[in-house]
Amino acid sequence: MAGSSKRRARHLVFLPYVAFLTIFLGCPGLYVFRSAFATGTAERSPMIEAVIGQFRGSFVFSLQLSFISASIGAVIGALVAVAVVRLDTVRGLRNTVVGYSAVAANMGGIPLAFAFLAAFGMQGLATRLLREINIDIVGWGFRISDFWGIVLVYLYFQIPLMTLVLVPALDGLRRTWAEAAQSLGASSAQYWRLVALPILTPALLGGFLLLVANAFAAYATAFALSSGGSRLVPVQIRFFLQGDTITGKTNLGYALAAWMVIITGVLVTGFQLLMRRAERWRR
Amino acid sequence: MKISRLSAWFTIGIVAVFYIVPMLAMARFAFQRVPVIKLSWGNVFQKWTLQPLVDSFGATEFQRAASLSVTLAIATALVTIVLLLPTMAFAHLSSPRTRRFIEISAVLPFVVPAIALVVGFAGTFRDTLPILIRSSFGLVPLYVITALPFTHRTLENGLAALDIRTLVNASRSLGASWWRTIAFVIAPNMRASIATASFLAFTVVLGEFTIASLLLKNTLPLYLSYSQGSNPQGTFGLGIVLVVISTVFVAMSNRFGKKVRS
Amino acid sequence: MTRNIEFRDVAKSFGAVNALVDFAIRVDEGELVTLLGPSGCGKSTALRVAAGFEICDSGDVLIGGTSVVALPASKRGTGMVFQNYSLFPHLTVHENLEFGMKVRKMSRSQRTARVGELLDLVRLAGLAERYPHQISGGQQQRVALARALAIEPQVLLLDEPLSALDATVRVEVREEIRRIQRTSGIATVFVTHDQEEALAISDRICVMCDGRVEQIATPHVVYRSPATPFVARFVGKVNDLAVEMTAPSRVRLRGHALEFAVPPSEVQSGEARLLIRPEDICVAGSAGGDGLQGRVDGVQFGGATTSLDVAIAGTNHVVRVSDSTRAMQFGIGDAVSLRFDTERVLLTRE
Repeated sequence: MAGSSKRRARHLVFLPYVAFLTIFLGCPGLYVFRSAFATGTAERSPMIEAVIGQFRGSFVFSLQLSFISASIGAVIGALVAVAVVRLDTVRGLRNTVVGYSAVAANMGGIPLAFAFLAAFGMQGLATRLLREINIDIVGWGFRISDFWGIVLVYLYFQIPLMTLVLVPALDGLRRTWAEAAQSLGASSAQYWRLVALPILTPALLGGFLLLVANAFAAYATAFALSSGGSRLVPVQIRFFLQGDTITGKTNLGYALAAWMVIITGVLVTGFQLLMRRAERWRR
Repeated sequence: MKISRLSAWFTIGIVAVFYIVPMLAMARFAFQRVPVIKLSWGNVFQKWTLQPLVDSFGATEFQRAASLSVTLAIATALVTIVLLLPTMAFAHLSSPRTRRFIEISAVLPFVVPAIALVVGFAGTFRDTLPILIRSSFGLVPLYVITALPFTHRTLENGLAALDIRTLVNASRSLGASWWRTIAFVIAPNMRASIATASFLAFTVVLGEFTIASLLLKNTLPLYLSYSQGSNPQGTFGLGIVLVVISTVFVAMSNRFGKKVRS
Repeated sequence: MTRNIEFRDVAKSFGAVNALVDFAIRVDEGELVTLLGPSGCGKSTALRVAAGFEICDSGDVLIGGTSVVALPASKRGTGMVFQNYSLFPHLTVHENLEFGMKVRKMSRSQRTARVGELLDLVRLAGLAERYPHQISGGQQQRVALARALAIEPQVLLLDEPLSALDATVRVEVREEIRRIQRTSGIATVFVTHDQEEALAISDRICVMCDGRVEQIATPHVVYRSPATPFVARFVGKVNDLAVEMTAPSRVRLRGHALEFAVPPSEVQSGEARLLIRPEDICVAGSAGGDGLQGRVDGVQFGGATTSLDVAIAGTNHVVRVSDSTRAMQFGIGDAVSLRFDTERVLLTRE
């Protein structure tokens, strides 16, 4: 009797943590979904309304931006990871690259937007330097606040994030795998195609999903670049729900937020599952 | 072999240029009083000055924003440690299932983007507990949540490196209470992890824009975004300062993180 | 065509370190030769040179009579088993076994038939669809062995295949390797640092130190008649005692008056070390007379044999004696007398 009450007392230890998460993560989440599904006086559920008509374009824009910045970021980030592991004999290189990747992957928000405005804005330093060698990016129609401009800015944190995911995965490739494949008669190309790439696939795919989710949830950088005029989903949500402004279409804002949660939820779950598989192979 | 090394250097070189150029451009804009159009080889080294940044430091609004951000950062780190450390220590003592539960719950904030979290938060508490929305300290729980995946990971690594069960048994058999054990046995052994988690929390708070912006709290990033028009050079200078500070924090957490692993 | 492998004066250095110096040995069809030595002695380097993962500085490696040093690893037709974790983690046991045949473009039906044979050979028929992380370490090494044999290699190279396994599993897999090697008759080079393992499994042992061959002989000869002090010390247990030469072929323990004869050796005078195995010392009660007098300091009962640690009276020498019958009679503190089997003594300067 005393034992069981003691055990129950032990479980009380987890109460503050569970309560904290419930109040500050669970309740807000629930609120978003409850409002998103509340039909009210409108004839269609806001959840439906949010993905048809005018907001469909926002989702398409946000997802395109996420997928494209993730694709480019994943490829370049993977190349950097391969390069770092290949140049492992160079002292200090790995620590420098991985260390700065950790910094850059966490960068974002206002300072990053400033940096790219100063570099690739109409009056940017890089824009000017490129013009010196007859590459007129402004003349081509490149604007830092446009789609491709935002892609370029996002690459600043997408590339290093992929590097961070992939370096441990590449370290996990055992030398004995390459040697076993060789002694069994495989050429270097066959080793990469039949052994290394399949083993890296979960990490590559997982990293890609993480990058998509990362770009999809990002908000501050794009907001600062285009002074609020952007078509990104998060900026649309802000339009409906900022501060105390009530636009009468608040539920639509919540529906957009709910869709964001659903999409990042799927992406992050996929990432977690793939990384767990990669981890299991590494043992 | 040679060619593959060369191409590796080439890749790293290109990406390094991409990483460095925007930062250089921001620094030049902030500290050189020469418009890009008039820039030439002749005046590259002329008219460099820290004055705009110094002016920014002097602005009362900046000081208010900076002190708010610093206060919030410290509060966030404190709440994170006090909330997480005992919980996770106990989870390590009880079943692996509990640990797994904590682990999964700590990743959940990844699933809820900041924008969704803050609108849900505002909706939930606007009527029930408006103080959370009015007070700047209402940001703290949201920041704790946002930083949770990173801080949890760090503390988890630290706890995994400790043989916590033996420590606790030893301490308890010597007559110490649970709370004494956590405060005087576990926490001191977790110093490196606690420092790492705190630095990560600082980094999150000093960079966070979305939440503060929607709740209309004038933190440092918000100050940066609206003072851009009145004092662009000084504001860009502050941007650099912020980048340098978060670089230092990340470097510190890397260093302490290595200590945990070894 | 004979399926053998021969190293001809192979040399390999890494910077200033000589990993192999004039390494020469031939392993014939049906034979299992162990390269034995401490870590860094060059044994693994020899294997990696044979497999094609390292290129030797000079010398030649012949497989089946033809030089292979110019061939890449993938064309050498050697089967290799590594210390551990060399199975491809994303492939099932079946797919791992198939890998070499697939690369060689064998037909599906041929592959499936061969995989079946191999699984029977290593007695893992039920595990074909498992992934490596779902089977035990011992099973993984048996699969790795089968995978190496799948391509019907001319020689089998085993690089410490048992080192990562638990003690009991190690013996089991060791016997399995020996059985399979016997039935397939393949020339096999087995690398290990474990002398007990080497003695148990080999047809011949090649003891190595600092890149050089110390002795190549059958396990029995290596143990009973070590060619060098290094071999005596490395293989089996040995008493290593400080002695003084009183005349050529006569010695006494340092600090002890009793002299006795030893077989002639290079060491003629001055200080030396005397090496003798515990079982080459006869123990008797102190009444036994003219031997070395001492007192039992420790007793280790080892089942078939019993070991005594005997402190020699008047000195700080402790001599280990082991024996299956007489040693059992004594306990700690008993006075005993020791007599060395002088034919079995090895003298050395160092």
